[in-house]
Amino acid sequence: MDTDAMETAIAEWTGVAVPNTAARVGLADHLALIAAFAALRGTLAFEDEPSSFEAALRDEALGDEQEPRA
Amino acid sequence: MSALNELSMTDLAGAIARGEATSLAATQACLAKIDAANPTLNAFIRLDRTEALEAAEAADKQRASGATLGPLHGVPMAHKDMYYREGRVSTCGSRIRKDFVAPKTATVLERLDAAGAIDLGTLNMAEFAQNPTGHNREFGDAHNPWNPPFCTGGSSSGSGVAVAARMVHAALGSDTGGSIRLPASLCGVTGIKGTQTRVSRAGVMPLSFSMDNVGPLTRTARDAARFMTVIAGHDPRDPTSAPEAVPDYEAALTGDIRGLRIAVPQEWFFDGADDVVVTAFEAALESLKARGAIVTRLSAPSLNAVATCVAVVSRVEGATIHANWMRQRSGDYATHLSARIYGGYALPATYYVEALAHRGPLLRQFCAEALTGHDIVATPTLRTRVPTLAETDIDADAANWHRFMAVSANTRPFNYLGLPTISIPCGFDERGLPIGLQLAARPFAESRILQAADAFQQETDWHARVPG
Repeated sequence: MDTDAMETAIAEWTGVAVPNTAARVGLADHLALIAAFAALRGTLAFEDEPSSFEAALRDEALGDEQEPRA
Repeated sequence: MSALNELSMTDLAGAIARGEATSLAATQACLAKIDAANPTLNAFIRLDRTEALEAAEAADKQRASGATLGPLHGVPMAHKDMYYREGRVSTCGSRIRKDFVAPKTATVLERLDAAGAIDLGTLNMAEFAQNPTGHNREFGDAHNPWNPPFCTGGSSSGSGVAVAARMVHAALGSDTGGSIRLPASLCGVTGIKGTQTRVSRAGVMPLSFSMDNVGPLTRTARDAARFMTVIAGHDPRDPTSAPEAVPDYEAALTGDIRGLRIAVPQEWFFDGADDVVVTAFEAALESLKARGAIVTRLSAPSLNAVATCVAVVSRVEGATIHANWMRQRSGDYATHLSARIYGGYALPATYYVEALAHRGPLLRQFCAEALTGHDIVATPTLRTRVPTLAETDIDADAANWHRFMAVSANTRPFNYLGLPTISIPCGFDERGLPIGLQLAARPFAESRILQAADAFQQETDWHARVPG
């Protein structure tokens, strides 16, 4: 989708109009972000068990604390 | 300048507790410095001079009475203007909230009050905490104390300036993509964000609920350790705050880092880095090795996905919070901010959900790649030399967009990963602008990065240098 089409879509979805010229530069940057995210397809997997970021924080806090240091 | 201004936060607290200095004298010294430097540096939005002097006198009387003193008793501070104090205007650096009177007091301010800190007023910041440079259209840009045409770093611009310029002994910042660590790096002070959820966010302006963090900017790692000990910990008013017990972070500051295992990821953090930054970073590693640390270069391929996901989450959450104002009064935002918010509406909802869903797995992957067998990850805080305000000014020229956005490239990943991260000074470039060293560790291992930072500051004197 190009920036003109995206401006139209944003106005329809959110009621927010493009505020200034810089926003068009930024929008192009965001479209590049969309492309970068799309490029990750197939490289990231959803967990298939109940989990959460907070659980990962607690799990990873323990890490290898018990390992002897080099 | 009064010698009191030169004392670190912990040294001043000790001097007051022992009766070697008074809070009143320390507060007067800070006010004198503010009067002299703020017209150039623009760190303060609001100065509560009378209230601060009265509070300092009361603190001195309390000490004289033999009362038990808090760990920050009588120490003058000021904080980013997004920490609510009931009945006080909290502008959040914006025109939109220029007259917003806070209905409650932030938990972190209550904890600082209880520890005895003196609150001098509110500090300049990026509008709604949404830029990494320190620009502010409404209140004027904050200026780098080492060289005023240069960026201070943002969004906690006034906090970095006020601590570096010896206007205050410590200040709260906030960090969603680097907003504590960047002004710490660019102004030459110490700044830490804890593990995600480590510090209460009750009574604090939100930007991105998933990645907002509260933390201090200070002169030293020891100051940061004491400050974090005061403010960290579960808060019933913030149900997202972590229940983990808070250790005495200062107790970890032994100076002994023999055997500390430091990992240096080769991806992402050095892309387009300036030679002077890399040279200072490598010298910093040598200083840590001189105290017995072990440095390993390694690969952390998850960083590419992390860098993409953090942008998706922060931009969508920032755009969502501002949707009503963007519909009704987008002209009241600075150009660079409304432009930045606007793009968030272009991101599909499924991408946002995916980016959040991948957060736990990517944290596990990064820890496996970089922190298994290692205690700390080290990177430069900013890849490049400090830019000028002019060359990152999007309001003046939209072509500055990418230079503006690049400022936070090295700090953003650690917000998505939720890891405790600190920035400390590790050198200066040929123009006399500071360079920062960034250290991260496993979740809830704030003690470890503080220990390493303190050891580094025992080995070097970068943190002790004072701007002109």
